[in-house]
Amino acid sequence: MRARFAELLNDLATNQVEFIVVGMTAGVLQGAPITTVDLDLVHRRTPENIDRLLRVLAHLDAVYRHDARRLRPTESHLAGPGHQLLTTNLGDLDCLGTIGDGMGYDELLDRTVEMSLGEGRAIRVLSLPALIQAKEQAGRPKDLAALPVLRATLDELKRRS
Amino acid sequence: MTPPPRDEDVEPAAPGIDENGVDRAQIRAMLALTPEERLKVLEEFVEGVFEIRESNARPVR
Repeated sequence: MRARFAELLNDLATNQVEFIVVGMTAGVLQGAPITTVDLDLVHRRTPENIDRLLRVLAHLDAVYRHDARRLRPTESHLAGPGHQLLTTNLGDLDCLGTIGDGMGYDELLDRTVEMSLGEGRAIRVLSLPALIQAKEQAGRPKDLAALPVLRATLDELKRRS
Repeated sequence: MTPPPRDEDVEPAAPGIDENGVDRAQIRAMLALTPEERLKVLEEFVEGVFEIRESNARPVR
């Protein structure tokens, strides 16, 4: 099993896929010492963007990871608000139509920060305050467990600025 | 002359643990990295976990 999240994000960015990194990986990118085994992103659900995303997913041999039939994601799957839990040859990837209270790419965009992954490619990442708020709203034990580290990371960032 | 302190007599330096049990030193170490380097830390952790899982999934001979 591989976990090449940087390569996966670079593939998406290079192919002009519009997406926002959310979940624990958004926290890691902003300096939180937390762990996760998959990459969560919210993709823009326009036909053009879904087409670009599908092309990258096909290249990465993406299939549903909890389905023994090795089903591949389709345009109709990715056009909906649900969560597509995939495995790829660069690691597990969750393509989320919406998060929280029906927040999609367009609603989340002004709550993101732009980050560079080297070679000049920029990606959008859910900001730490927005990630903390999302975890507070989700309220599940696993979300609440991450909050002290995320809040402490935000506090350290504020002290630096 | 006072003998040098034995290891068991010496308290280690106070860790940077805050009131919620969060290790602030780990956060500062992560903040010192670039986003790409932070992802690398995560990737190495995940691959290490999967390696251990896979080695334990093999039948013991």
